[in-house]
Amino acid sequence: MWRYTLKRLIQGIITVWFIATATFLAMHAVPGDPMSGDRAVSAEIRKNLEAKYGLDKPLSQQYVIYLGNLARGDFGISFTQQNREVNDIIREHFPVSATLGILAIVFASLGGILWGALTALYRNKLPDIVIMFFVILGISVPSFVFAAVGQLALVKLNDLLGFSLLPVAGWGTVSHMLVPSLVLGLGTMAYLTRLMRSSMLEIINSDYLRTARAKGLPATRIFTRHQLRNAILPVVTVLGPSIAGITTGSFVVESVFAIPGLGRYFVQAVQQLDYTVIMGTTVFFGSFLVLMVIIVDLLYGFIDPRVRLA
Amino acid sequence: MTTVQPQDIAAGPPLLEVDDLRVEFDTYGGSVKAVRGVSFSVAAGKTLAIVGESGCGKSVTVQTLMGLTPMPPGRITSGRARLRGVDILGRTEIGGREIRGREIGMIFQDPMTSLNPTMTIGRQIAETLEVHRGWSRKRALDRAVELLDMARIPEAAQRANQYPFEFSGGMLQRAMIAVAIACEPAILIADEPTTALDVTIQAQVLDLLSDLQRDIGTAIILITHDLGVVARMADDVVVMYAGQVAEQGSVEDVFYRSAHPYMLGLRAAMPSNSSDRRHRLLPIEGSPPDLFSPPTGCAYAARCPHAMRICSTTDPGAFSLGGGHTARCWLHGDKAPRVPQLAYAGAAPGLKA
Ligand SMILES: Nc1ncnc2c1ncn2[C@@H]1O[C@H](COP(=O)(O)OP(=O)(O)OP(=O)(O)O)[C@@H](O)[C@H]1O
Ligand code: SF4
Ligand SMILES: [Mg+2]
Repeated sequence: MWRYTLKRLIQGIITVWFIATATFLAMHAVPGDPMSGDRAVSAEIRKNLEAKYGLDKPLSQQYVIYLGNLARGDFGISFTQQNREVNDIIREHFPVSATLGILAIVFASLGGILWGALTALYRNKLPDIVIMFFVILGISVPSFVFAAVGQLALVKLNDLLGFSLLPVAGWGTVSHMLVPSLVLGLGTMAYLTRLMRSSMLEIINSDYLRTARAKGLPATRIFTRHQLRNAILPVVTVLGPSIAGITTGSFVVESVFAIPGLGRYFVQAVQQLDYTVIMGTTVFFGSFLVLMVIIVDLLYGFIDPRVRLA
Repeated sequence: MTTVQPQDIAAGPPLLEVDDLRVEFDTYGGSVKAVRGVSFSVAAGKTLAIVGESGCGKSVTVQTLMGLTPMPPGRITSGRARLRGVDILGRTEIGGREIRGREIGMIFQDPMTSLNPTMTIGRQIAETLEVHRGWSRKRALDRAVELLDMARIPEAAQRANQYPFEFSGGMLQRAMIAVAIACEPAILIADEPTTALDVTIQAQVLDLLSDLQRDIGTAIILITHDLGVVARMADDVVVMYAGQVAEQGSVEDVFYRSAHPYMLGLRAAMPSNSSDRRHRLLPIEGSPPDLFSPPTGCAYAARCPHAMRICSTTDPGAFSLGGGHTARCWLHGDKAPRVPQLAYAGAAPGLKA
């Protein structure tokens, strides 16, 4: 298990390096730079700025400096927000995104397991058909539509009630978090429901469930001890990649619900070609995702003895 | 109150009696008549072997007894099964005792997939005892170790804490046996228990089964394709063909006084270690009938070398040869020609069962 953990960590570091390099190259491949925005700067100021940020050096040298800074955890200073360190931006706004994301994942996995188990229990009966209809909707409709529709529904609901039951936008209290995280988790929930359903159905026909029945165990025990636990395994394996999906979804949801998360900053930075913020947040998000996938894999090991003990 | 008949005392009442069991499956293509009137009985502490080619209804028969046949699509269209005289079909318990796991234990063909991959072997054995005997987890686990030991698993105490993937196939089948006998069932059903194992392991597992049978006195219903296994293990044999019993009787009768052409065919197809160099394996040509619409006459008629005109039009029914030996074949009728290899009832043929 330790060897495995170490191996995964090294793989993770290589992945992050890859992300960092790709971001760097992409950044320098796009036309324009932070100084060529709406406010044109004179050639002289431009030269000074380039010198300040090291943009006048050859690309290879810039790359080495960039990697060196990354290794020290220094993402540099924002181009567009004077004297604001990228690290500060991350420190301030990431917790908001993380809270939103964690809530979304919790919604998605609990919902996915619950609905998936239900559809399998009521296979081809009404609850299954109804839930699977929503699942197809959830998988095929992109998250920005859910975000907009969710917000609109909230407005209508508050109008109807005559008072504000849940806030329509913003951040701060639990009531701010509910709808955005639900909206953010919906697509993943739908996907996990489908996965859970098929893994439940596969296990219903498995040899070991037949053994459990032949042992004369009560139905509830067969369901919880033998079916559910094994059916959850595939769901856990995709949780890591699902976190990636939720992260990208959060860019949209944060913008729609005016949530001061890192995703919103990222989108802004891209619009303004704020090199350091883009590269910093991309590498940060990348490392975060890689770490999450590793954690989920290790977690999986604890549930599945075949992985834990191998 | 049931009155005890004198002949019952003499023979000892059978532990399990299956009478005219019929099972169908409703499918899109129509209904599959998988079991078409199967009757047999199992005596306490004895071994009954069920043989017959793939798809003839062996598994469906025993799984129906256990209530494991999925319904729907399955349907019991007639028949009874009595354990110690009490009906068990469609019931989960008799006299407060669970049928599955407690009265009847079962092991399956593929040990690699028949145990829960995420539960320790010990827990999977203990679970049965907790549920059926109400034992504490600790007590049940202790017993699980003993059972593994009885199943000849070395270092049973450590093994109990391991997961199925840490066991070899042969050891898993032994662990399965430990699961099945945990509550000392009256009957152990083994559905092709050695088919998935290699030959040396097969012998060990079969030895284990017969030793356990002697120790705890359980009856065994053994399903197999292997006539060698039948000869070695069984007291009685049921030969099934296309959902029916073609021939049944004691192992000596069925093997050495075979009364059904299908059984003769099976014997000819069986490799023997006789020194007779001219002995050639003769496969039975053709394939079993379509169970969606089984033939009205003898099910074996299309493949039988001795088929007569009556065979394809009228079902022979079971002829008795005495001593519980029956054969479902017109050759035992009064006017049928004599087939030299076939055994007949005494001197006088044609005693209808
Ligand atoms: N769930 C089911 N639905 C439809 N048909 C079924 C079902 N289960 C069994 N059958 C049919 O019942 C017949 C008997 O099957 P069964 O499994 O009892 O055969 P078997 O004698 O055990 O064969 P094998 O030696 O291959 O195990 C087969 O024709 C099979 O297709
Ligand atoms: S009844 Fe006829 S066809 Fe059937 S086994 Fe006997 S001889 Fe052959
Ligand atoms: Mg079978």
